[in-house]
Amino acid sequence: MKSILSTAVQATVFSCFLAFSPSAQAEKLVIGVPAWPSAKVTANIIAMSVRDTLGIETDLQEQGTLTILGEIGSGDIDVHPEIWLPNLSQIVERMSGNEGSLRLSPNGVNATQNICVTKSTAADTGIKAVADLTNPDIAVKFDSDGDGKGEIWIGAKTWSSTEIEMIRAHSYGYHRTMNLLEMPEDVAMAAVDAAVATGRPVVFYCYGPHHVFELHDIVKLEEPAYDAARWNIVKRADDPQWLEKSRADTAWDGSHFHIGYAAHLERDMPGVAKFLNRISFEPSDTTAMSYAVVVEGKSPQDVAQSWIEANGDRIEEWMK
Amino acid sequence: MSAQSIASRLNILIPRQKLPLRSPVVALIAVFCACAALAQALETQIFDPATRTWVTYDPRQAVKYYRAHGQAPEEFQRRIVDFRTAEKPGTIIIDGDKHFLYYVLPDFQAIRYGIGVGKDGFGWAGIVKVGRKQEWPTWTPPAEMIERDPKAAQYKDGMPGGPENPLGARALYLYEGNQDTIYRIHGTNQPWSIGLNISSGCIRMNNDDVTDLYNRVEIGAKVIVLMQGAALYRGV
Repeated sequence: MKSILSTAVQATVFSCFLAFSPSAQAEKLVIGVPAWPSAKVTANIIAMSVRDTLGIETDLQEQGTLTILGEIGSGDIDVHPEIWLPNLSQIVERMSGNEGSLRLSPNGVNATQNICVTKSTAADTGIKAVADLTNPDIAVKFDSDGDGKGEIWIGAKTWSSTEIEMIRAHSYGYHRTMNLLEMPEDVAMAAVDAAVATGRPVVFYCYGPHHVFELHDIVKLEEPAYDAARWNIVKRADDPQWLEKSRADTAWDGSHFHIGYAAHLERDMPGVAKFLNRISFEPSDTTAMSYAVVVEGKSPQDVAQSWIEANGDRIEEWMK
Repeated sequence: MSAQSIASRLNILIPRQKLPLRSPVVALIAVFCACAALAQALETQIFDPATRTWVTYDPRQAVKYYRAHGQAPEEFQRRIVDFRTAEKPGTIIIDGDKHFLYYVLPDFQAIRYGIGVGKDGFGWAGIVKVGRKQEWPTWTPPAEMIERDPKAAQYKDGMPGGPENPLGARALYLYEGNQDTIYRIHGTNQPWSIGLNISSGCIRMNNDDVTDLYNRVEIGAKVIVLMQGAALYRGV
């Protein structure tokens, strides 16, 4: 997942918000641009639409997702194009509310977080459910180093979701049969590519919208529906016994991401605030944006321009 | 099954993942790179479809095969393969488990080369880049090798590039940022070793293949080294 948070970092960022008073930026709309492709395209769509339709000057600033939120709090940035929930729920709750500096668009894009295999892996190994990974006979089919345990990529080291995937592995019990691997996403996705090319089984954490679903035939493993009573996450930063005290042996709760913007826009640029509230992407929009940038190698600006040209009626509707 | 009968079938066999060390083959001359330590031999197993069994493809059999055919088994020979990836053309992806190196081409294709890797795999996984390229690179034995082996000691100031040089015809120096990782993709003076896990650390290719790759790859190209077993994956 994109959002990378610890409670300590959240607290630091939040304290920074309090140290600055928001300042209205009535003349120019400043849009933060996080590092992942769909957010870059969305930022450009917002910038081009606001500039061309409302005649407002825009500025794109590439920053990390937490920095963007921090600068929305301080009044230096006005828009975050893609805030992931529940990953950023704590900080969003702190910044929102009547007196808060952040507003979230009510229109979220549904996202998913699962454990996935390739279609051929499912056929070759017989795996259907996450719980199957606790079966040593299944797990050994994912063994790449001859130690009798399988290997599963659970995410990048710094992702907040990786910590939760580790909890899930311990809650289901497949930490006993599988080695839990943390690696950069590029390496993990290239490993999926190589596994597909050579017909090897592979199992990995997956999230969507994501271009991997366009690139390969991917199967999400079955698991019990999300149950809040069986989902108790203690963060590593909060308690050294976090793993023992946590439990998560059901599917993830529904994930989603929203456009966020500085509350002062409601006063200083009400037309922009209304527009941002009405933007409504489908998951397929986001997947296509990601695919065009990452796989087809197009620039976010070009993808945004093409998207606007193909969706003029939607932009017009959102601008009303 | 005799080594000869195995060798006769190798052109239709496919390699399996590396297996734990069974026995060192002391008669072999190990291939070293600049970062190499004492070489040991690991066994690659190869599936024999005739008997439907996994058979050993160890250095002894590899040498015999190479003498008989003048090249590595077909599986390890350079070819264009389908390869669906989000990585850009020009990227190198190293799959130590399968002893393959992919050079990504447009339109979801790649050139696949056979490689030899270290006795414990590549030693790490992650993302680096090609920081430097060199034709007929100089090879300098590591200090512990110079102490141990008088023959190596004569090259303590560097062995000039040439057919006998263990780094072979070309070397690609892998950098992390602006730092040399000391790992290289290089040629070899022992082309029979492709497909095997011997020596340590570096990626070996036969000289024709490394020259082909050298001519294609650009300085700064992204190199993704995949996991080769959980221990290495976790160690990054």
